[in-house]
Amino acid sequence: MTTAAPATGTLTATGAKPGAWHHRHLIDVDVLTWSEIELIMRTTDEMKGILARPIRKVPALNGRRVTTLFYEASTRTRVSFETAARNLSADVVSIATATSSVTKGESLVDTIRTLEALGAEILVMRHGISGAPYLAAEVFGGHVLNGGDGWHAHPTQALLDLYTMREKLPGGDLRGRKVAIVGDILHSRVARSNIWSLTAAGADLWLCGPATLLRGMDRWATAWSGGAVPGHGRFNVTTDIETALRDADVVMGLRIQRERMQAGLLPSMREYAARFQLNAKRLSLAKPEAIVMHPGPMNEGVEIAPDVAISGRSVITDQVANGVAVRMALLYLLAGAHEAAVGEPAR
Amino acid sequence: MSATKGPRQGGPPGPAVGEKVGRLELEKAWLVDPVSDRQGPGDIVVTGGVIESVVWLEGDEAAGVTDRGVVVAPGFFDLHAHFREPGFEDAETVASGSAAAAHGGYTTVAVMPNTQPALDDPGVLARIRAAARASGSPVEVLAFGAVSAGRAGEQLSAMGELADAGVIGYSDDGSPVKTSKLLRSALLYAGMLGLPVVDHAEDAELTSGAEAHEGYVASVMGLAGWPVAAEVNAVSRDLAVLADALRDEPRSRLHLTHISTAGALDLVRRAKAAGLPVTCDVTPHHLALTDEWIAGARRWSWEALAADGTPRDPWADAVLSGWPYNTSLRVNPPLGTATDAAACLAALLDGTADAVATDHAPHTVVDKEVEFGRAANGISGIETALGVLLALVDAGKLPLARAVAALTTGPASVLAAALGTAALPAARARGLTEGAPANLVVFDRGDTWKVTPEALLSKGKNSPLLGRQLPGRVLLTISAGRLAYEDPEAGDE
Repeated sequence: MTTAAPATGTLTATGAKPGAWHHRHLIDVDVLTWSEIELIMRTTDEMKGILARPIRKVPALNGRRVTTLFYEASTRTRVSFETAARNLSADVVSIATATSSVTKGESLVDTIRTLEALGAEILVMRHGISGAPYLAAEVFGGHVLNGGDGWHAHPTQALLDLYTMREKLPGGDLRGRKVAIVGDILHSRVARSNIWSLTAAGADLWLCGPATLLRGMDRWATAWSGGAVPGHGRFNVTTDIETALRDADVVMGLRIQRERMQAGLLPSMREYAARFQLNAKRLSLAKPEAIVMHPGPMNEGVEIAPDVAISGRSVITDQVANGVAVRMALLYLLAGAHEAAVGEPAR
Repeated sequence: MSATKGPRQGGPPGPAVGEKVGRLELEKAWLVDPVSDRQGPGDIVVTGGVIESVVWLEGDEAAGVTDRGVVVAPGFFDLHAHFREPGFEDAETVASGSAAAAHGGYTTVAVMPNTQPALDDPGVLARIRAAARASGSPVEVLAFGAVSAGRAGEQLSAMGELADAGVIGYSDDGSPVKTSKLLRSALLYAGMLGLPVVDHAEDAELTSGAEAHEGYVASVMGLAGWPVAAEVNAVSRDLAVLADALRDEPRSRLHLTHISTAGALDLVRRAKAAGLPVTCDVTPHHLALTDEWIAGARRWSWEALAADGTPRDPWADAVLSGWPYNTSLRVNPPLGTATDAAACLAALLDGTADAVATDHAPHTVVDKEVEFGRAANGISGIETALGVLLALVDAGKLPLARAVAALTTGPASVLAAALGTAALPAARARGLTEGAPANLVVFDRGDTWKVTPEALLSKGKNSPLLGRQLPGRVLLTISAGRLAYEDPEAGDE
């Protein structure tokens, strides 16, 4: 029998020690050590426990102020963050830029200073330009949690992906497991953050897509081919979908946007689907127990076949559910880091 | 007095900025004279704004004098700067730019015509000259006229009138000369007038939306890649059009500014070997900084170069100490890899690059304290150029004499034809020559200074070197016999 959350006190039941967390902000997973990633995973376990209770709410962030600032349209990520914050009893202020003074030409820096003056403590931010959360973190006195910036990073997505893979794969260990990420790698912050987390996890990572949507990634893969970066293994880049999928344990599709055709990067959606769509036939190359993932939103019939998206191998809805737990864990860790991080380097 | 301490220690109060230097005696300094290609210990005396005597010391007199202490060289000449006036006076003015130039050791600066309005007719040049006179600074401000009217890339500017008014060449800098056809016309017409065309070599189709040098760092940082082909294409086009124009107008001259890639420098090298009248410059930032700075690395380019000539990995080396996406690093052309920087250095050493030009591009906080992808391109660099080159000298990568030549006779030679006109007497005085008007910089190679917003006299504080100690403190700059800059701490000891 499950029990309701305690009415008072902090999240003592988690067993996670916020003291082991030293980051004031989380802008990408690149700064995380493996033990920090494991701390996030353990904390997420505890948050999942809370989500399994009849009353999914604990007072851990009672009175703390979480502001979501989204410069790009996003339903699922924003709702996921706000649900996570409310589950922890935080006060949530939600700012969509279409209705804010941003449309009157206010700069990001001015917006951040205004939000801080209004009492924001944890800022969850989504922005279309790579690096924007670093600019925010430079001027913001609280904590910045990156909800996705440009092509650069989407750390909560990568961490929920990692959590879901560990949950679904037998043994919960990614070492030696083949993970194929297929689609528009060039423009994908999800792919970039996953490179950091999955190479840290020891996965056999393959990035696959049309050559026009892989540009530059081979240089990254080459730089890491010798295993030079501490804590991260090598990864592979290929335009051959069969090579990427063969014997894969995890297959992840990424969204293909119509703008890529207008930019001259793809002949047509039809041609993309014919060559790269994750369909049942192609997935037969992967291991029989392979799972299928997608960060959403999906273009069913383009990068993923509708029957694959809802098949028994699909863990796409698990990703969404785990996303709330991972974001609860990160909000909790960042809020707990507040005292310890004062005076420390901000990164 | 001893030249190893302030240049005017203990003397009577000297002139104010803009006043003629009555008498200055510099003893036992290290003199570098790129005109006579000589350097060594010496004494130099300026009287009434004129170099009265230059005495090269030998034997006991020269004992203890090294090139690591106070150095006297001809005042520097910047081929490429933006003083933003008229139109963008919040970012820089002729007065603030001139003060910054003098602080950097420069006595002559050529400003680019991407003002508002563009310098496409003599009226704008008159405004710049009036501002220079009003500034009280003796720094000589020369100007390039626009190639095209309004820099719009369609019709030729008032090139002849601009020549009569005294521009030293033509450029649509900030942008490339838009079309091959326009470039051909410009080279022919400017050649007829005896002036060079200066191109900012960029294939703008390839760079549309680009944010950083295409490569490992941009890939990791999620920045849109700026392909090397953009510069190589443009230089290739420019050289082909030049060769074509020369058949009709043998006086056509092309100067390629801020060349930053190995491929483009190779094209220039081959074109020079084939006898084409082309010159080029490289910038201090492309020599010394690299794209890994955008990720937070803060080491010099030569420290980021592996033994095999490839760039080292800043993540593997764990050298990311700076804040990522610093918009002071957003510049056009973008910072390349350590390999590209090494190619710029090799070009400077073998003469493929004739000069170092700063592309001093001051910007306001409003234009730089924004997202990286929205930030204006440019580095405020006229005050840090000497320090950056001296860092190369200190590292044993660049001889001191070559550094000085690249800042003095190199740029003068690029504009030799234009500077041969009687209208520009001061710019011709590039040597430590007795009887010549004093154009001098005195700097202490043994002393450093910290780059801070307060230390920079430019209105543009957009320097990626903020917070860093640079070698080579400028003590004194004299332009056309008048005081242009004096270190406020010199003489106080």
